[in-house]
Amino acid sequence: MKMVRAIIRPEKVENVVDALDESGFVALTKMEVIGRGKQKGIQFENIYYDEIPKTMLIIVAEDDQTSKIVEIITESSITGNFGDGKIFISPVDEAYTVRTRNSSL
Amino acid sequence: MRHTLLELETAAFKVLSGRGFKMKEIMAIIRPKKITKTKEVLDILGFPAMNAVRIMGRGKQKAILNEINLEIKETNLTESEGAMRYIPKRMLSLVVPDEDVSLVVETIMRINHTGQIGDGKIFVSPIDEAIRVRTMETGDNAI
Repeated sequence: MKMVRAIIRPEKVENVVDALDESGFVALTKMEVIGRGKQKGIQFENIYYDEIPKTMLIIVAEDDQTSKIVEIITESSITGNFGDGKIFISPVDEAYTVRTRNSSL
Repeated sequence: MRHTLLELETAAFKVLSGRGFKMKEIMAIIRPKKITKTKEVLDILGFPAMNAVRIMGRGKQKAILNEINLEIKETNLTESEGAMRYIPKRMLSLVVPDEDVSLVVETIMRINHTGQIGDGKIFVSPIDEAIRVRTMETGDNAI
């Protein structure tokens, strides 16, 4: 299993969630985060913003589905400008469902 | 504060000697109501250190409104009219040594089990390194 963490623009979240929904990836976790990227934030004349609000989506899926998820997220959240975000994929050893006590997704 | 070369060398040695120690991150998404109980019990068992975050999320049932009902037909779940977009949950994340993983997971499951939809999920993933910022200790000593 893999955990996909996508840091995306807050205004694109509903887009992404709907797109994931259509492809059958319903379960997800949403988290408000603040961050900056390689561009060290953004500067408008004299005002300098380096804590930019973003939204992090966390999805845990089977190994072979990650590329599809990444594709869906990138397609539905792209604007082509700086600040579109990043997607990180990390391993998950075990997943448990509390209600059924099963060790499965 | 500037570090001397010796201090940096010692720190590097500590990093290297901590290698080989295995630890796991346990990420539990549970009901906000159960957080106090979970914290208390983990405290008693000797796992007081954790992060807790307020999050929104939904599961396979697509955030149905009657998430505490026992009887819900599987087929109706995704087309349910009483669906919300997300349900507020709490995420706990704690890093523990490999041998304690099953104990912590079992404890969290036992406390948070209600048998109804929306009990949450627990994910266990590997952590390569842990460093305590104050002392620069690594691995076993850091967690």
